Amino acid sequence: MKAYLLFTLVLPFLGSLTLALAGRHLPRRGVEVLACSTILLSCLAALLALISAGPNPQTVILLPWISTEGFSAPMSVLYDPLAGIMALMVTFVSALIHLYSVSFMRDDDGYVRYFCYLNLFVFSMLVVTLADNLLFLYLGWEGVGFCSYALIGFWYSDEVRAAAGRKAFILTRIGDVAFGIAIALFFALYRDLSLAVLNQKAPGLDPSLATALGLLLLWAAVGKSAQLPLAVWLPDAMAGPTPVSALIHAATMVTAGVYLLMRFFPVISLSPAALSAVAVVGAVSSLFAACAALAQRDIKRVLAYSTISQVSYMFMGVGAGDVGGSMFHLLSHAFFKALLFLAAGCIIQSLHEEHDIFRMGGLRRSLPGVFLLFLAGALSLAAIPPFGGFFSKDRILLAVFNQAGGGYQLLGVLGEVTAFLTALYTFRVFFLVFGDRPASGTVGSSALPEAGLRPLPKFMVGILWPLAFLSLAAGALNLPGLFSGGEWLDRALAGMPGGAPPSNSSPGVEATVMAVSGFLSVAGAVWAYFLYRRRPLPEAVTPLRQRMKDLLSSAFYLDQGYQKAIVTPYRAVSRFLWLKVDEGAVDTGIDRAGKWFPFVSLGLQQWATGRLSTYLKMVFLGFTALLGAIVLGWHPW
Amino acid sequence: MNLYAAIFYLLAVILLVSTTVAITRRDAIHAVVYLMISFIATGLIFYLLGAPFLALLEILIYAGAIMVLFLFIVMMLRLTPSRRTGRDALSQWAPAAVLGGLSLILAAVIISADPATGPALKTLTAGPRELAQFLFQKYWFPVEIASFLLLIALVGALFLGRQEKKEPKTPRPEGL
Amino acid sequence: MIVPFSHVLFLALVLFLLGAVCAVARRNLVMILIGVEIMLNAAGLVFVGASLHWEHLEGQAFVIFILTLAAAEVAVGLALIISSHRRTGSVNADRYNLLKG
Repeated sequence: MKAYLLFTLVLPFLGSLTLALAGRHLPRRGVEVLACSTILLSCLAALLALISAGPNPQTVILLPWISTEGFSAPMSVLYDPLAGIMALMVTFVSALIHLYSVSFMRDDDGYVRYFCYLNLFVFSMLVVTLADNLLFLYLGWEGVGFCSYALIGFWYSDEVRAAAGRKAFILTRIGDVAFGIAIALFFALYRDLSLAVLNQKAPGLDPSLATALGLLLLWAAVGKSAQLPLAVWLPDAMAGPTPVSALIHAATMVTAGVYLLMRFFPVISLSPAALSAVAVVGAVSSLFAACAALAQRDIKRVLAYSTISQVSYMFMGVGAGDVGGSMFHLLSHAFFKALLFLAAGCIIQSLHEEHDIFRMGGLRRSLPGVFLLFLAGALSLAAIPPFGGFFSKDRILLAVFNQAGGGYQLLGVLGEVTAFLTALYTFRVFFLVFGDRPASGTVGSSALPEAGLRPLPKFMVGILWPLAFLSLAAGALNLPGLFSGGEWLDRALAGMPGGAPPSNSSPGVEATVMAVSGFLSVAGAVWAYFLYRRRPLPEAVTPLRQRMKDLLSSAFYLDQGYQKAIVTPYRAVSRFLWLKVDEGAVDTGIDRAGKWFPFVSLGLQQWATGRLSTYLKMVFLGFTALLGAIVLGWHPW
Repeated sequence: MNLYAAIFYLLAVILLVSTTVAITRRDAIHAVVYLMISFIATGLIFYLLGAPFLALLEILIYAGAIMVLFLFIVMMLRLTPSRRTGRDALSQWAPAAVLGGLSLILAAVIISADPATGPALKTLTAGPRELAQFLFQKYWFPVEIASFLLLIALVGALFLGRQEKKEPKTPRPEGL
Repeated sequence: MIVPFSHVLFLALVLFLLGAVCAVARRNLVMILIGVEIMLNAAGLVFVGASLHWEHLEGQAFVIFILTLAAAEVAVGLALIISSHRRTGSVNADRYNLLKG
């Protein structure tokens, strides 16, 4: 077991290290093979570990890392079904994306740096997934943040992209502060940083402390998972290469936040206040992001807001006490969102880096493979029954409605509204990109002639079919009892805290919720069809409509608000400190102090006249002073 | 106030007046001559204070030799009296006068603070015989050193006063 | 009885300060040297007075040495003045300022 875990973790790290040190000397094919094979082998090791592990959690110490008197922080792993499934998903999706990247980045010269960071990212994410010791987890946590920064700003010579990387790093860092405080608090309480031990001792925790810890962990998760109020970095993070967006900002890093909450569920669940906070954050962010996605023009930005919205569903699930449901949605979201991003990458590359959906159109005939792949992802995202996303989203909504308290019912309603909007914006994109365009009249939206499309490597498109299959069939992982399904996931997670909450709902409620959500999703898709497929786009835009568009596309001016309220004053203070304090006061002060010396020296220079009379005067003066000293009693005898 | 005291004060006045006049002369020769008067007065004071041999030496050496040497040099260098304008007289004398006055006050305080200087001096005399015996018995070595010093001074003065060899103005080319 | 020793000291003090003022305030090198001579003379006066006050002969012996020293010093000093007069043609102390910093 330890061997499997070691392989899982160490292989990507070794790959990254080798590429960092020697990547320049290897041939291009060698670099690609090395990078992909480390992840594939790691995936195999994760699979073997999952198969050979039992349902009980086990702690395995891999390396003694920090070990001093009275304090030790070993690199230890807490392996339970939750971690095992998550590790398998991470490595599998990473492997597919590595393979896709080989094709996608075929024209880029920075491939060594790219694969090095990508491997390092996988390692860090696996650390987050598997770690038992909190310092080890923090190491991975920071590692994913750093790799995200490095990969978002991959084309760093473009100032905008570099700024996007910085923004992501700073905002996730704001969340990490809370995590650091939480770790310190844990240490202060228990003098032990092992997750297993903490979860075990959790029931004895004081409720207010549990609330505090829960809120701190929530803030950390909000930063990493781009929820409100720290959501503004994810849309800008689309400046990175598309496979990076697929891996980091769809399947893995943004789910790390909610995964953290799942791992700490025994602690958080002690505090109803913290749980409701989680659910509220989830519900509000979800609606917020869905509204914003409705008005985006860049295809990747639609998917970014969609990610925020779907991760919010996972938050809602945790807040409702259903870790299994959240995990279910996490898995299915990983599949369909990665698929959607990668398909978008294909579209963007074939249209010569065109991102604007209003300039696309008619791709159903030009890119039939991508059309089908995107459709698969869209069906799952919009939660059209009976495809994967439907079951997972429905499970979460059911858990929310089942929770006691009127607040949760309201959150459930918000969730249903968001489901409708999700279908709406998903199919908006779908029809705009793939549907036929009116040939004439509409401004700025002419379909590109087929000859102008860039040919895509077959491999790049072909690698996506497994993901399409998984996203459509993901429902099979955990078909609810209503359909006499297997409920495999629930059973796998049965031993986990919050894994399979007792369903205190009658089958009637369950069926009602399912029917409502299914109806809303289909309705959203149909309305999108009528809006974007049949009718030509309106040419004249009324001022009210324009204001609505601006409001939504800028995500309720949240980013601008932050810029004005925080960034600009901060920059002003920083500028002030730089110019006035550092250069003005400190530097100038030192300069003046330095210049004071020559000034004094010049003054003293007046004495050295070279004239005898001056020196004689000085001798006489000294003599007088000596007499004065004797009179005052300062004499040595 | 007895006779000796009166003589002392008289000589003191002469001494101070002549010295003051000497240092304010523009012409160096005048200054030297007034200084000779001052040294003679000093010699007489020495006699009064019981050192007749020193009085003699003072007049012979100081007034007779050293001042004459000054005269030699002044005449040899043909030093003319400097034209001192009234403007820089003050800037020249002021700092010295200020410091001098200050020192006077301070030192006067020091002197008057010492009670041992109160009682009057006795009228004793040390004749040449006593002085010579004392000097050559107790301090014969410094006497030898002093004579050596004189030798050094002689050599030094000779060296410093020598005429420098004049260099030819135009370098003569070789072979001509 | 002659005078209190402090009177002799006062006299010598004033004489010394006169010599000091002359040395400081005059520009002519010869006059500066004369100032030095006056100061030496005043010192000798103090020694003679002290010799009488303490009734020791060391004071008088030392005056002989002062006299010797003064003679030697004047000889060398005047030789220096001659030498520098030959070089620069002036005995004004302000002319010698090559050491100006």
